[in-house]
Amino acid sequence: MAVEGARFPVVTGIGIVAAPGFGMEEIWGTIQKGESGLRPLSLFESPRYGQVLAGEVRRDLTDLGAPLRGSRSDRLAWLAARQAINSSKIDLRDYAERAGVLLGTSVGGSFDSERFLTALIKQGKLRVRPTRFHECASAIEIIADDFGLYGPSMAVATACSSGALAIATAADLIMAGEADVMLAGGADSLSRMTWGGFHSLLLVDSAGCRPFDANRAGMSLGEGAAMVVIEAEEIALRRGATILARLSGWGASCDAYHATAPHPQGAGAAAAMQSALRRANLEPGAIDYVNAHGTGTRDNDVAEANALKTVFGERVPPVSSTKRFFGHSLAASGAIEAAVCIEALRRSQMPPNIGFATVDPAIGIEPVKEITQASLTHVMSNSFGFGGNNAVLIFSRPESPVRARSIRPKAAAVAGIGVIGPGAVVHRQIDPPLPEGIVLSHHCGTLAGAESLSPNQRRRLNRMVQMALIAARGSHSTTATERVAIAMGTGMGCLEDGAVFIENLISKDEREPMPARFPGSVHNAPAAQIAIDQQARGLNSAPTMGEISFECAVWQAMSQLWSGEVDCAIAGAVDELNKYVLSIGKRWGLWTEQTRPGEGAVAANLVLPENTTEPLAKITAVHVGRYRRPFDAKREADWIASRIDLGDIDVVLSGAGGSPALDPMYQAVITNLSERVGKTLEHQTYKQLCGEFHAASGFGFSRAIGLVQQGKRGVLLYTLALRRGKGMILVRR
Amino acid sequence: MDHTFDMHVSTNELKTKIIESLRLQEVTPEQIEDDAPLFGTGLGLDSIDALELVVMLEKHYGIVIKDIEEGRPALRSVRTLAEFIEAKQTAK
Repeated sequence: MAVEGARFPVVTGIGIVAAPGFGMEEIWGTIQKGESGLRPLSLFESPRYGQVLAGEVRRDLTDLGAPLRGSRSDRLAWLAARQAINSSKIDLRDYAERAGVLLGTSVGGSFDSERFLTALIKQGKLRVRPTRFHECASAIEIIADDFGLYGPSMAVATACSSGALAIATAADLIMAGEADVMLAGGADSLSRMTWGGFHSLLLVDSAGCRPFDANRAGMSLGEGAAMVVIEAEEIALRRGATILARLSGWGASCDAYHATAPHPQGAGAAAAMQSALRRANLEPGAIDYVNAHGTGTRDNDVAEANALKTVFGERVPPVSSTKRFFGHSLAASGAIEAAVCIEALRRSQMPPNIGFATVDPAIGIEPVKEITQASLTHVMSNSFGFGGNNAVLIFSRPESPVRARSIRPKAAAVAGIGVIGPGAVVHRQIDPPLPEGIVLSHHCGTLAGAESLSPNQRRRLNRMVQMALIAARGSHSTTATERVAIAMGTGMGCLEDGAVFIENLISKDEREPMPARFPGSVHNAPAAQIAIDQQARGLNSAPTMGEISFECAVWQAMSQLWSGEVDCAIAGAVDELNKYVLSIGKRWGLWTEQTRPGEGAVAANLVLPENTTEPLAKITAVHVGRYRRPFDAKREADWIASRIDLGDIDVVLSGAGGSPALDPMYQAVITNLSERVGKTLEHQTYKQLCGEFHAASGFGFSRAIGLVQQGKRGVLLYTLALRRGKGMILVRR
Repeated sequence: MDHTFDMHVSTNELKTKIIESLRLQEVTPEQIEDDAPLFGTGLGLDSIDALELVVMLEKHYGIVIKDIEEGRPALRSVRTLAEFIEAKQTAK
């Protein structure tokens, strides 16, 4: 049993690969010299913006030792992971089931999938191989398999705050006792999608970003990865590890204001900083240095300065943005800057804000201009992203007595649930130019409830976001409070907006882009739009982990209730059908007479049981992890039996009926569980009703609620993912 | 030689192009007044719609805006936009 008070997260290893170098030693050398890593783009042809500066990793990833499989983002993440593990000197085999990986990524495998689209559009050739690693969760599989991690693992795709949110979520998993060790960070490669996307928003300064400068004219894109090894303090002490820093506070918030623009006063950013300070039990005056998000766009830097003044008043600590060293590497940036903060603490040095020359009167803050020796005890790292998504981390020196506030897992009540499910099984002809024939699918058709959306929501929001909005409204989640967290899982993200945007970019050589499609293509667009719709200002997240994306969302949402930072949490999942899902899935043999692709959205409104009088049901346990191959049914049944009382289960509701690979695995586990309780457990399935899609277990969850309403005492929702994820939720009366 | 007459931008045509590019399916050209503000109130357009209009200007009028600050005064109303297009075309 864990020693009381010893679950505090500490950092024992860091790994980093980015434009300025490979490894922290090399990177800190360039920081000390004040050398920018920005150069003209060489990774791919950019007909229109080829001369623009970017923070590109120019070394060959294979030469650096990256595995041959995986997308460019996956391989960057892997390289950072290996460095982090080596630097922490941990033998992960000792912690296999108690160690997981949590990765922030937003681009995922887009760069590689673009090769598929380019071949299709420019040459009319159907080459599906590069899409194999499209999913953001693909990096989790590769890293966890190679390094032997079988604990709770997921990707979070919340645009530019992902890397920081991943580290925060890893810390919560350790504090809640779900894991002892977490490999956490962020990774994103450059891609035509984000390159064309940020240019279409007129947010890129072709000469390189100048954060906080009066003449700043936009951001610079970058790529890279950073990972940290975080472990419970008791584990680190027991194995005699060198503690690099303490993760003493973390906080997340949502502006609930706009899809791309920050709140002008930085209200959400300030709330995230205050939340992190509360978690650390620190006064603002204790912070010695802030690593700013500081992208160099006109709006971000003003909003962030306003937020800093809100939090720190007249005494804003020394601040710098390190974006001109790295470029803005999107989901990786929060993790890269966390690594920079840890190194700053270790060396007692504040990195300079290169690119700055003149104070902007609208900002009124002069950042750190030279590398500066300083006594640092507590440092803060800010990350803000699309959808007004904010995450803030506080790192402290190892000897600091500060300890983060603990969380303790407990049950949540389901106060309401909204579902958008398929209306009927329909034949869908796959659009040319993919002549793959006809696929039977569970398609939602015209969305029931869409008429309740505003004209601007119908005009501007893609179908998947609309599905999520309608489901969230259906969960009766509208409350008097803004203290609402949202975790909306998705396996594939908004495929349609992403595909249309990139098809247009490739076919027109970056002319006539579609700026309104770009923000709609991010995985966290549904969660961000629900936040705007409901004025929900707590954590806002899009966990993505294949078939267990919903379970990951439930865990993340419940952890926010446990932290006391919100009064209510919406947990859900959404995925949409798209011509590429139909045709690539058909090419891979996923779709058969028995297995039909589907789509849909679900959102559950969760509160602590004491805060509701008539709950639909209770969630008394939620856990995620990874199974081993060869699949061992006894080990998996142990995993369930050690977490819940098997006597509480009336029905096991499984994700079987979808995959010929997974179905026998489900059956073997349920048979083993039945032997343990001495009776045949009732086994029900749901995919025959909703089809096969990553968010389907959310639909299963709505069935579980229905079974409990009909009189069942306890329903175990049990889900296995092709990429080795597993999830369980116990739903009780 | 006076090209100004040929260069005259019809505000009606411009309204149709705005409606098309922003997918304002429930709005007719007659509902948009020449001097009414396009952003904030009225049509309820936002900064992303402004970027869509920047793309529209390039596609239909060959005008490239690289800095949204430069476009901001022009995007105030249909009339300011028409005047901006005319000025740019005359300057060519």
